[in-house]
Amino acid sequence: MNAWELIIQQPVINVLIVVSDYLGGSFGLAIIALTIIVNLAMLSLTLKQIRSSKAMQDLQPKIAELQKKYGKDRQKLGQEQMRLYKESGVKPAGCFITMIIQMPVWIALYQSIMLALAVAPEGLLNLSKYLYPWPIVYSALPLNKSFFLLDLAQPNFILAILVGATMWLQQKMSMTISSDPKQAQQSQMMLWMMPMMFALLALSFPSGLSLYWVANSVVRVVLQYRITGWGGLRRRPTEVMADSDKKHVKFDASVERKSIDDVGADIVISDSDSSRKDAYHPSKPSKIRYQPGKDRVQRRRKK
Amino acid sequence: MNLKGKWRVGRVVLLTILIIAVGMVGFGCVKGLAPIGWSGGTVSGGTLFVGSNEGRLVALNLSDESRLWSEPLKQVSQGGIFGCSPAMGGGCGAGSAGVAIYGTPVVYGELVYIAGYNGKIYAYNTEGLALRWVYPREDYLEPFVGGLVAADGKLYIGSENGKVYALDTATGDNLWEFQTGDKIWGTLAVYGDTLYIGSFDKKLYALNTADGSKKWEFAAEGSIIATPLVYNDVVYIGSFDRHMYALNAFDGSLKWKFMGENWFWAEPVVVNEVIYAPCLDGNVYALKVATGAKLNGYALESPVSSRPVVVDDSVIIATRKGVIYSLATGAGEIVQLADFEQDIDGPLTAYEGIVFIHTQDISLQRINAINGAILRPVSLKSQN
Repeated sequence: MNAWELIIQQPVINVLIVVSDYLGGSFGLAIIALTIIVNLAMLSLTLKQIRSSKAMQDLQPKIAELQKKYGKDRQKLGQEQMRLYKESGVKPAGCFITMIIQMPVWIALYQSIMLALAVAPEGLLNLSKYLYPWPIVYSALPLNKSFFLLDLAQPNFILAILVGATMWLQQKMSMTISSDPKQAQQSQMMLWMMPMMFALLALSFPSGLSLYWVANSVVRVVLQYRITGWGGLRRRPTEVMADSDKKHVKFDASVERKSIDDVGADIVISDSDSSRKDAYHPSKPSKIRYQPGKDRVQRRRKK
Repeated sequence: MNLKGKWRVGRVVLLTILIIAVGMVGFGCVKGLAPIGWSGGTVSGGTLFVGSNEGRLVALNLSDESRLWSEPLKQVSQGGIFGCSPAMGGGCGAGSAGVAIYGTPVVYGELVYIAGYNGKIYAYNTEGLALRWVYPREDYLEPFVGGLVAADGKLYIGSENGKVYALDTATGDNLWEFQTGDKIWGTLAVYGDTLYIGSFDKKLYALNTADGSKKWEFAAEGSIIATPLVYNDVVYIGSFDRHMYALNAFDGSLKWKFMGENWFWAEPVVVNEVIYAPCLDGNVYALKVATGAKLNGYALESPVSSRPVVVDDSVIIATRKGVIYSLATGAGEIVQLADFEQDIDGPLTAYEGIVFIHTQDISLQRINAINGAILRPVSLKSQN
């Protein structure tokens, strides 16, 4: 057994089997439970990633402004963008780094589910080498692959549709709409391509894996909602782009830094120009004040 | 759409495919998920019959090494895209090129029988491998993993749908069925008028061969995949609860049990009142037939999932990693005969001192168990 299997895969498989046993032998419930547990374990990283994306999103009007101002001078534009990121405390690579950190855990969970499903005889035989010498683990296998009316070892059309739908929802909510029309168009295409591809993949893989994808997307949607509300679901990108093309918005970015302890987020941005309309909400002339963890509370109070 | 637009769309598609591809590789096709097959061989009239990983029955004439291939077993529709489907075990690639065959063929009279992972049982003429009958004639049952057993004009097999089937050897007609509580992956054992079969439902069943009625059942604490060994009115059966059980063949009462450190997957063998039980913990346990007392434990370098064979007084054992050992039961010494460096999961076959080992490169390795000489392997790949 290599280091990856020993340190990551083996514990996850055994936990999956034990959880399944405690949940009445339901492997489906075990997949959902473990997906939630792993998401909770990585909550701080996930929140960081979502907040980082949100911060990037909030900087888009300013970036659009910079592009208008320094559009012809790419070098200057790059410098100004970096300065803006620096002043705002935003690390553009931040969300990717957290994603990369999380990736091994998701891969381990995926592999463990596939191994524990043991669809073919070779799979079950292979599974035996990962087992801890706990009586509960040995006796619980092979796992019960029935989950409600589903056979988790077989693909399922409805679950495949759910994979696509929940993934689309999650991506739509977290989507960063670029002020660059080309990038925005690409984002739009990705928004559709990825869920469609995963839905097609789900039609080919055991539905246990689809269940994991759906559970994971649902958890991420809930987290996203807690941080940013409906996010991209409420934005109308065409309006944004059209708006950004028409208007030359003057801005004077001033960044108010607060500690994470104060606001529960990495950055806080406020605009000094109160008369400027928010490029994303032209009808609301109020200030942009992004305070993750607080702004939603304030919104609720207003209601 | 202009050229620029098309290029942009192309980039997005390319990026998506790249992400999916990286995901597929990183998230990866998990090893051991695609059914490949591990059919053992059976020798009759100087011909060895074995199910190849190409999904064909192969007849090997042992005197001149000429081979004959059956038509490939028909694949159940391969649902899914990207070459992944439940039939492929949910993994990608690395699966069997045809229908996986796990059970060892069985010869009875002039027919040779084989069961496929496609859920069908086939009967061929031993001469020429012409198809005589197939069961079921239409449609497919759940996959067959265990092998067939023939006795008294009946053919017995357990299926993944949990049923035990008794068929007429001549016509393939269904004589009776018995439903267990879960999947059956093991091969049955016939002893007198009783049929013994283990199930995923953690029970060992003793059935009447005449009508399939249940005589008794024994409940273990783990699933049973191993093939039962019946010797001197005692049934020896390994379980996923890490125990090897010895049961009274007539009433299922427990005589003794022995605990290993992992599953007992393979069928044990008996030599000189000692039972040699291979275990997935990498040991072969030598136990006293009468009491189950451990006489010795031979630690090998990897788990053993294939049924050993007895040649003279030596037990020939293959580990999953492909190392072949000869255990001299008299002296209690174990020596390595060969290392094929390939996974070996299927049962070994012995004939006139030669041990045949079916490896995953679709070939039959051969060792002279008497002098330890490794003979030239025989390819099972079909010519067309």
